[in-house]
Amino acid sequence: MSIIDELQSLKAEALASIADAETLSQLDSVRVTFLGKKGSLTRVLRGVGFLPAEERPVVGKISNEVRAVLEAAIQERQAALAEADLAARVSADAIDVTLPGRKRLPGRKHLINQIAEEVVDIFLGLGYMVAEGPEVELDHYNFTALNHPPTHPARSATDTFYVRDLSQGLDEDQGPVTEVLLRTHTSPVQVRVMERQKPPVYVIVPGRVYRRDIADPSHLPQFQQIEGLAVDEGITFGDLKGTLDYVCKELFGRDRMTRFRPHFFPFTEPSAEVDVSCGICAGSGCRFCKKTGWLEILGCGIVDPNVFGYVDVDPEVHTGFAFGMGVERIAALRYDIPDLRMLVEGDMRFLRQF
Amino acid sequence: MLVSMKWLKELVDVDLAVPDFVERLDMTGTAVEAVRTRGEELEGVVIGSVLMKEPHPDADKLVYCRVDIGTGDPLRIVCGATNFEVGDKVPVACVGATLPNGLTIKKAKLRGFTSEGMMCSAPELGLGGDATRLLVLPPDAPVGVRFSEYQGTTDTILELEVTPNRPDCLSMAGVAREVAAVTGKTARRPSSAPAESGTPVTESVSVEIADPDLCPRYTGRLIRGVKIGPSPPWLAERVTSAGARSVNNIVDITNLVMFELGQPLHAFDASTLATREGVGAVTVRRARDGEVLTTLDGQRRTLDSEMLVIADDSGAIALAGVMGGESTEVTSETRDILLESACFNPSSVSRTSRSLALISEASMRFERGGDPQGCVDALDRAAALMAEIARGQVAPGIVDAYPVPASDRLLELRVERMNSILGTDIPIEESAAILSALGMEVTPSDSKTLSVSVPTFRSDLEREIDLVEEVVRAWGMERVSSTLPGGRGRIGRLTPRQRWIRRIDATMRAVGLNETMTYAFIDPTDLERTRMSLGEEERFVEIVNPMSEEQAVMRWSLLPGLLRSVSYNQRRGVFDVHLYEIGTVFSTSSGRKLPREHTAVGGVLTGAWSSQVWSGDSHPLDFFDGKGVVEALAEDLGSTGLSLRVSELDWLQPGRSAEVLLDRKAAGWLGEVHPKVAAALGAEPPIVAFELDVDALLDAAHDTRTYTEIPRFPAVTFDVALVVDESVTAERVEQAIRKSGGALLDSVRLFDVYRGKGVPEGSKSLAWALSYRAPDRTLTDDEVRPVHEKLVRKVCAAVNAHLRGE
Ligand SMILES: [Zn+2]
Repeated sequence: MSIIDELQSLKAEALASIADAETLSQLDSVRVTFLGKKGSLTRVLRGVGFLPAEERPVVGKISNEVRAVLEAAIQERQAALAEADLAARVSADAIDVTLPGRKRLPGRKHLINQIAEEVVDIFLGLGYMVAEGPEVELDHYNFTALNHPPTHPARSATDTFYVRDLSQGLDEDQGPVTEVLLRTHTSPVQVRVMERQKPPVYVIVPGRVYRRDIADPSHLPQFQQIEGLAVDEGITFGDLKGTLDYVCKELFGRDRMTRFRPHFFPFTEPSAEVDVSCGICAGSGCRFCKKTGWLEILGCGIVDPNVFGYVDVDPEVHTGFAFGMGVERIAALRYDIPDLRMLVEGDMRFLRQF
Repeated sequence: MLVSMKWLKELVDVDLAVPDFVERLDMTGTAVEAVRTRGEELEGVVIGSVLMKEPHPDADKLVYCRVDIGTGDPLRIVCGATNFEVGDKVPVACVGATLPNGLTIKKAKLRGFTSEGMMCSAPELGLGGDATRLLVLPPDAPVGVRFSEYQGTTDTILELEVTPNRPDCLSMAGVAREVAAVTGKTARRPSSAPAESGTPVTESVSVEIADPDLCPRYTGRLIRGVKIGPSPPWLAERVTSAGARSVNNIVDITNLVMFELGQPLHAFDASTLATREGVGAVTVRRARDGEVLTTLDGQRRTLDSEMLVIADDSGAIALAGVMGGESTEVTSETRDILLESACFNPSSVSRTSRSLALISEASMRFERGGDPQGCVDALDRAAALMAEIARGQVAPGIVDAYPVPASDRLLELRVERMNSILGTDIPIEESAAILSALGMEVTPSDSKTLSVSVPTFRSDLEREIDLVEEVVRAWGMERVSSTLPGGRGRIGRLTPRQRWIRRIDATMRAVGLNETMTYAFIDPTDLERTRMSLGEEERFVEIVNPMSEEQAVMRWSLLPGLLRSVSYNQRRGVFDVHLYEIGTVFSTSSGRKLPREHTAVGGVLTGAWSSQVWSGDSHPLDFFDGKGVVEALAEDLGSTGLSLRVSELDWLQPGRSAEVLLDRKAAGWLGEVHPKVAAALGAEPPIVAFELDVDALLDAAHDTRTYTEIPRFPAVTFDVALVVDESVTAERVEQAIRKSGGALLDSVRLFDVYRGKGVPEGSKSLAWALSYRAPDRTLTDDEVRPVHEKLVRKVCAAVNAHLRGE
């Protein structure tokens, strides 16, 4: 058999082996067998030395062709096998994508603080600063400087929590009413702010307040209030209306209306209660709004000149408005919370809903 | 304040439908809390005609009747009263009716006889009269017609919320005046002048005010020879429509005038007064400490010198403005009445009624402020009615102690000023019209200013701003156009502290904790329960009047509340609990008026981050999860100064507790809650908890961060397992490593802690990955190995360690 025939049969044999190779490693051993340093092709070519010189170029050319063909075949087979291999691996890797994801959920902010922060952010946008004050307050800031007469019923020990005054003798019976109390509203911060800052004053005051109510579905002895105060030259009742109307629309929706009903508070005059139109019946009256079409949402008014008297602001030069809203009330209206006590129980199933 | 529309319409024209009328009142400051229809409570009471009346065979005091109520099927009724005859017309309460006294009529068996309804007495229908007698109606009363319809008692009653500044609206005349002003009508004021006869009042009665600070005015009239009896139906109906009970003609007249004019009146039996030379001498004075008075309700009350009494020479006979005394009470035998119409100091009445827990219609009106100028009108009106209804003779003249007569207050309203406060353009004429309609005398003092004379019944109007409010509420707040404040160059921005607190808040949530809120007042015995303690000089911030002993002190720590929340969850089958709270904690010490308030951030973790995961990678939360939270917090605040000091804190489990330091300063604590503490608060351990002082966190926070170059050359990492004694902390070993590290040591990471086979008892193996890196070249193993080996030798010497496996 001539070398050329040998090469041709080697080529045929090798192509068959390549086609038969089932795995990449089988293919590699086929490559070594035929094309390796000690492989068949090398072995066949060793015989070239015995050929006459004029035949050598022909054999050389054919052997190069055989090598090229085989290398191409191997490469092709290799690609096919790699493709099949990947397909097999991919198929083996298939998972049930409906299994739950691995997650560490971020925690949730308490509903009440979410709303408080929302309100604060609205006022930051309107150019207000956030002010704070103590939760244990002096009667002076909570009542007297807010124009509450000495006999005002809110000062009674049935309405307000009083705190033992440790600047007085310890053994003394201080009676039920002392000069120290748990603030019943965030309004004392109005006085504290105006004591240390001359107008213009634009502040919003979120904070915890306390009243002697038995905890039940619609009352808590502690709750969150947000107070607002604007004192400047030329502040008007119209400014108060515009501000609160804007805030209510931001909080409840652009389609909601507000109305201002004259009311009485000791530290504002004129005073008003603000209602927002019922979101369930759009003002036509339903059970939720007790058939009135309106939901009471906050109290407000023009700062009473007597309050300015306590903080040395001239009411002939400056006017101001103030308002206060209960955050729990907003939460109850927005989410229809059936029982306010859920807000202080810490039930994970409740907290994670908001 | 209950307002009968029927009554009101006699005093002012109302042409609005009820809903529109209610809205108008609401929008002008008189809140209508409820609208009721009177007569509804007499639903089911109809007029019947007695067809048959026979003695009950088994009971002497009962009669058995058949009563026609127009249904064609006469009712069988057993009855205890006997003052009626066959053919009489009587009110019959049918089965299902509920009477004003709360009694619901049911079909009943009385001594063997079925009773299908009840014939009623006047008091059973809320009217005055004899409770033992049936109310027999005139013969022409139509059978089958509803009783309330027949009586004309069907009425709309408005329940008004009268704010404390408006005592004048606690009367029908006052409400009528208000209604007139806000609806553009004119009110009609009821008044009557009594015809006088007999000897003048001054010959029989004298009055003197000893304490004028508590009683600005005291007036009286004498009505002789009255006949006490039931009130005529119109009078009984009037007082019941205002929420009172009909008692007798005299009491009803005093109530009627109080409801009508707002002036409380009191009637004494004049014959019971101690006399001085034939004259009943009445003195208004402070009570003596310990003086005793038996009030109309039969209670013996011990008085003190802060209370005001009406007295005669025998002692106190009435508590001024609050309640009359038993000894001078008007009885069915009374003939001569001394009628009191006075004005008392609001705070004095308020104090007295509160300290004796006696609140009456009178005290409620006096404590909001009476009108001294209104006393005589009311006196005359009541005297005239007593003459007319009780057939009394009104003695000529009045007794009147009025040391300092009150006068109208003069105020100015600058209309421009008013409009600049309101943001309106209300014309001066319109302002004047509103104030006049409210009962003020208004004269323009110039083109821009009104001079306003405020009558004494509006004692709440003291300043110009009070007039501004009157104008705007009647003019209409809804007409004020909405604007936003101008103001120059103001910027809304959180303070740095507020921004940091928001950061802390956000980090707590980012690491997986949920925000909660707990009560700020807690149980003082929680101090023992949690095995915590107050500082040496510290005391509880104690509430004088707590709702309960469990809420008697302000919290000194967030822990008790948070542990109770853990317990709350666990008892409801929620075992994975991750909570935090940012809130105020309180502390105080002797001599302090206000306590110290600190903002704290606290957390509790128990269970797993996520239980029952199919992938099996959940672990029970322990100390290191809590520590991870604190580390994340420090990292987010840009603080590198976080360290823990091993510390025994009584409320935490020993060996699993530490103090948290920031820049070597105390910032709080962290650990697993002591099992005894958990048990005392009803919670199941293990529970990891921490509490940090927010200001300590903020002191260590750094706002500015600096750029450090990202390494450009790879690191070479060697692992080393060091066996050390159990007492040697990881922190100590790490410090030793870092100290011995030299310039090439880049990072030190603990990746395993091992105890057991191959490690002697009492020791542990800590496996570290040490990375070496140079900023300017790629290091080779050969270059690093000697450095590493030298480091290991030094560390072994420093912490008495040896390499694991050697
Ligand atoms: Zn509605």
